[in-house]
Amino acid sequence: MIQRLTVLTDASCGFCIRCEGWLLRQPAFVELEFCAAGSREAARRFPELGTSGTPEELIVIDDEGGIYRGARAWIMCLWALAEYREWAGRLASPLFLPFARGAFAFVSSKRHTISELMGFEPEQFRRAEPPHCDARG
Amino acid sequence: MEIQPLEGLAASTTIWAYLAYLTASVGLTVWVAHTLHRNGRIFLVDSFLGNEGLADSVNHLLVVGFYLVNVGFVSLALKYGIKPRNTVEGIEFFSTKIGMVLLVLGGMHFFNLYVFATMRRKAMLKHQRPPVQPEGFLAAKRA
Repeated sequence: MIQRLTVLTDASCGFCIRCEGWLLRQPAFVELEFCAAGSREAARRFPELGTSGTPEELIVIDDEGGIYRGARAWIMCLWALAEYREWAGRLASPLFLPFARGAFAFVSSKRHTISELMGFEPEQFRRAEPPHCDARG
Repeated sequence: MEIQPLEGLAASTTIWAYLAYLTASVGLTVWVAHTLHRNGRIFLVDSFLGNEGLADSVNHLLVVGFYLVNVGFVSLALKYGIKPRNTVEGIEFFSTKIGMVLLVLGGMHFFNLYVFATMRRKAMLKHQRPPVQPEGFLAAKRA
């Protein structure tokens, strides 16, 4: 059974860091760990994912080595949370998955615009702890 | 309109209809409560993730609540509706009232089932596998 998820996020995106903070505040069934995508730490731990800059999609890696990208990665984040696990199941159902894919792809591609529109500066939300792969708790 | 006092046959019909109603309603309530208590236990044990002590406790409390609501409803509902003066009206009264009691019992039963099914679903969530499959695996973990 999966006990921990590592989420590779875009550290240059204020909206993403804001989401990260929200995820960390929710009661969760599995531990969530965040890692800045493209960071040295990420490259060291997951060399296969490539080191070149920031990936264009959200990546989640479970503690069994499974890799999830895009909409599946979003769904895994929801699945980790006690209050949203049912929603993860719903969004992953054949009926909603195409919509979920579309919505997540849209938000992902527009994340810098969203950050700008809402005035989320990445520095504003960065936590005091070391920014790389700091575990929840 | 002046209310005529019931006399003779009419009075005894009313009394018999009322008594039949009370006996049948309370009897039905006891039977339903007993059935729910007996057959609902395993469902509750599962809802509480195998905690039998808690399941038994909730089961008893539910039966108490069930009696309170139903006997209360039956008592209150007695005087509403027609006052039977002959056998035909007596049968109508009996049938209408029993129908109402049965519908209330059924409504409560489904509400209880809904609440416990929701609780059970929430309890099962903790052990649910991820709804999506990974697209690949890290070579280090796969080895």
